[in-house]
Amino acid sequence: MLVMKNINKIFQTADIQTHALRDFCLQVNEGDFVSVTGPSGSGKTTFLNIAGLLETYSNGEFLLDGEDVGTLNDNGRSRMRNEKIGFIFQGFNLIPDLNLYDNVDVPLRYRGFNSAERKRRIEENLERVGLASRMKHLPSQLSGGQQQRVAIARALATSPRFLLADEPTGNLDSEMAKGVLTLLEEINQQGTTIIMVTHDAELALRAKRTIQVKDGRVSELDVVANIHQASA
Amino acid sequence: MLETGLILRALARNKIGALLIALQIALTMAIMVNAIFMIQDRQQQMQRESGIDEANTFYLTNTIFGQNYNIQAHLQTDLHMIRNTPGVIDAVQINAVPLSSSGWSMALQHESGEDKDAVGSAIYMVDDHGINALGLTLIAGNNFKQGDVEIRKDGQSTWPAKTIITQAFAENLYPDNWQSAIGKTVYISQTQPMQIIGIVKTLQAPWNGWDGVERSMLVPFQRESKGSYYFIRTEAGRRDELMPIIEKALAQSDKERIIRRVTTTEDTRNRSYQQHNATNKILTTVVVTLTLITGFGIVGLAIFSINRRTKQIGTRRALGATKGQIMRYFMMENFIISTFGNIIGCIGAIGLNMWLVNTFNLSPIGIELIAFGVIALFIVGQIAVLYPARKAALIAPATATRTI
Amino acid sequence: MFSYYLRLAWISITRHWGLSLLMICAIGLGIGTAMTTVTVNYLMSANPIPEKSQQLYYVQLDSWDVNDPFDDGLNPPDQLTYTDSSNLMRAKKAFRQNVQAQAFGVIEPADPEMLPLIVNGRANSADFFTMFNVPFIYGGGWSNQSDESKEFVVVLSKETNDKLFGGKNSVGQSIKLEGNMFRIVGVIDHWQPKPRFYDITTGAFNESEDIFVPFHLIADEKISRSGNTNCWKPTGDGFKAFLASECIWTQFWVELKTQQDKEDYLQFLNAYVQEQQQFGRFQRPIDNRLSNVMQWLESQEVVADDAQMMMAMSFMFLLVCLLNTVGLLLAKFLGKAPEIGLRQALGASKKTLFSQYIIESACIGILGGILGLILAYLGLKGVEGLYGDYMKDLATLDINMAILAVTLALLSTILAGLYPTWRACNIQPAQQLKSQ
Repeated sequence: MLVMKNINKIFQTADIQTHALRDFCLQVNEGDFVSVTGPSGSGKTTFLNIAGLLETYSNGEFLLDGEDVGTLNDNGRSRMRNEKIGFIFQGFNLIPDLNLYDNVDVPLRYRGFNSAERKRRIEENLERVGLASRMKHLPSQLSGGQQQRVAIARALATSPRFLLADEPTGNLDSEMAKGVLTLLEEINQQGTTIIMVTHDAELALRAKRTIQVKDGRVSELDVVANIHQASA
Repeated sequence: MLETGLILRALARNKIGALLIALQIALTMAIMVNAIFMIQDRQQQMQRESGIDEANTFYLTNTIFGQNYNIQAHLQTDLHMIRNTPGVIDAVQINAVPLSSSGWSMALQHESGEDKDAVGSAIYMVDDHGINALGLTLIAGNNFKQGDVEIRKDGQSTWPAKTIITQAFAENLYPDNWQSAIGKTVYISQTQPMQIIGIVKTLQAPWNGWDGVERSMLVPFQRESKGSYYFIRTEAGRRDELMPIIEKALAQSDKERIIRRVTTTEDTRNRSYQQHNATNKILTTVVVTLTLITGFGIVGLAIFSINRRTKQIGTRRALGATKGQIMRYFMMENFIISTFGNIIGCIGAIGLNMWLVNTFNLSPIGIELIAFGVIALFIVGQIAVLYPARKAALIAPATATRTI
Repeated sequence: MFSYYLRLAWISITRHWGLSLLMICAIGLGIGTAMTTVTVNYLMSANPIPEKSQQLYYVQLDSWDVNDPFDDGLNPPDQLTYTDSSNLMRAKKAFRQNVQAQAFGVIEPADPEMLPLIVNGRANSADFFTMFNVPFIYGGGWSNQSDESKEFVVVLSKETNDKLFGGKNSVGQSIKLEGNMFRIVGVIDHWQPKPRFYDITTGAFNESEDIFVPFHLIADEKISRSGNTNCWKPTGDGFKAFLASECIWTQFWVELKTQQDKEDYLQFLNAYVQEQQQFGRFQRPIDNRLSNVMQWLESQEVVADDAQMMMAMSFMFLLVCLLNTVGLLLAKFLGKAPEIGLRQALGASKKTLFSQYIIESACIGILGGILGLILAYLGLKGVEGLYGDYMKDLATLDINMAILAVTLALLSTILAGLYPTWRACNIQPAQQLKSQ
């Protein structure tokens, strides 16, 4: 379960103060598939960076799986990212020097699994995204859709509780995008909580729940709906 | 240039990268300039003339081991034989060979007595054939006459009454007018008078590193000693042919001595300056590799900075920059960095030189050499950045619209 | 994890081979140059007799001209007069003492077929061999008795014995040297201290001698002396006058076991000079010195200026190479910012990233070190070729130098990698992940 209460994020530069998130409140339950929409500059990405522990917040309360994120140091956040969160990015972010097998291997190495366990997970997840046969290829030898599927395999390899996706289909054509989305739905059905940021309204509708971010806040109606859902 | 300000601001954002190149240029400059300076210094030393006919002379050692051996009689026979060999111009018995690094030295003084100032000089003991055999140029006064030549026994402490000195030595003794040295009396071994009867143009001492290397004197002695050199001058081009002939003739004429180390004067010069030559070659290698390393370092860093700015360069191209303008941007950037590097480098070069002067007794560096270093490094920098700058100019304007 | 980092480093190095090669070459050249000059300096300043360099002392007395001091008064003369060394020898105040000078002579082999041989020799006292731990194959040195009774004895070098006797045990046989028969008492094994510390007056790296004979034979004119002779006062005629002169041409070593012995000996020397002052000698202030082996070599500056100057230059050269590496590593690591951001997102802590990139730097360092070692080997061959005999045996790599080369390469590259790594680890992940 992910709970954010009154999270604020203020970017401070020499003469300008930007309030990226204002008293941001959100609760995401186990097994949810939440899409986050909103216009450009609304604070979607900041929300995702904070949710993914890539950035710290200025103040507020953030519990991930019951653990208070605010009390963690840099190493603690690295460990939590590795154990609980999987990432999918718009730009795929595969390491160009490493082949598919080694790319999926990266988070497993940081987890410290033994080699047999790593091998099992890499093969299982590449199988799952349908790319097991190409594990010795370099990312540059794949199409965009295939690259994103490798990125999903990498995100799933550590069996994360949460999957954070930032415009996962942003760089893909509609056919490929559909395939990726279907894959995400499958993953969600198998129990992984997914939070997906997108500006594509049609895509957002395929999630179980949609929230809208505007001027750094979750819009009122949705908050009410969330609370209602939570108590139900 | 309008772009200069722009480049400076861009550099200020990547201070460390620029600083690293500037420092490299500075150190390269400091080392290069000093190394070239040392090379030049050594080359000048090596170019000094020994004064003797180096191309057509050789010498050998004559070591006598026989007991009851008539040294004098054999010496006269030997010299007579060598001098009459066809192709030989002249030959002489001598106690030391210029640049051979072993020899004798004594000091001369203007006044007789202890505690008087004296000037050191190399001593060459020769007879009246000395000037001709060595191939020296007598520029004032006269040569020794046959009657001036005395026999010197080992351990003898007296000196002949006449001497011939080099021009450099005469200038040292009579700074106002070196020619006035002719006929003057000087004192050797503190109290023994000697009259200067002639001046030769140049004759170097046996020790090339000695600061008095140009000060030598000839004294009319034939030595009655068990070890001596025979110094032989041949007609042009016949040296190599005569060397084995004379060696053989001497060795066969008499079995109670050993003829060894038949050596040309040229070989002696090469051996004498072997360390100079070696050091120069090493320094040259250092300068060349150092310049290459710095050049390649500039290439590597420029390529990386261009790769990182691919999109930015594409955008500039899309906005109307010509290929020439893109190239000029990077060449200008390198020029600005080189300027910083060269400023630090000048200070470094002078600092390093001061340290070398203090530690190794080198002389201070000239400003023209520093100017040369500055220009050279500007050129190296511009050449090094040429390839990366061309690469940058070839980035397609379309890159700007590409997302990945 | 270490092997994983090694593999990542390998992938990174080979994938960007041009840049990696540039860095490896830069470090290799820097290390190669530095090690070439360090080796030459190291061998020039080596302790040639480490087991007793603290107990052997070279004796200097200032017997020079009161008006024109030796070496501008900075150091007393580097040799002793025959008078002084004979007096010190006779006094026998040290545990061991040795007076010596360079000599030469002609050996006439018994076999008339063989040509006479000119040999470089050393005229020394009996204690020479025990003082300097001279290794013998056959026999040994002569006794103090032989010195006193002026016997014609000789010790041959291995090389001379090989030439004259085909390497067989020649002890007890005789050779004809300068017209006199000398009895062979010992043959020494190959012995070439570098520097040739026991006599550096004609060059610190000369070859050791072909034969050794008792010192008194020089005074008796049975063998000719060579080496440097320095005089400040005119001498009389003849060899007797020369021996009694103020010319310096003998060297004097003593072996003293303790610090107390050394102080006692110095007092003895001072008393000796005071006594000599009564005869009108030693007019300069008393400046007697006892230098142990390393002090003596240092005071005589056996490490050539050229070698030191080149070492200084080569370390600056190495510095340029390292600056080069810092710049290239910085460019490389910052070019990897997206990857670093991603690794952080996938759970890499700063510590793990730091290890990864330091290991990559270290790999480049080791490769550079190996290249440097090869270049140093070639460089030393080149130095030997260029300098000829002067550098013989001074241009060889030993295991210490090889280890030093790789360690130096490793440490300096890690040092060069510290700043780029630190920068790489402080990359903010969020900024790198949005889109490339």
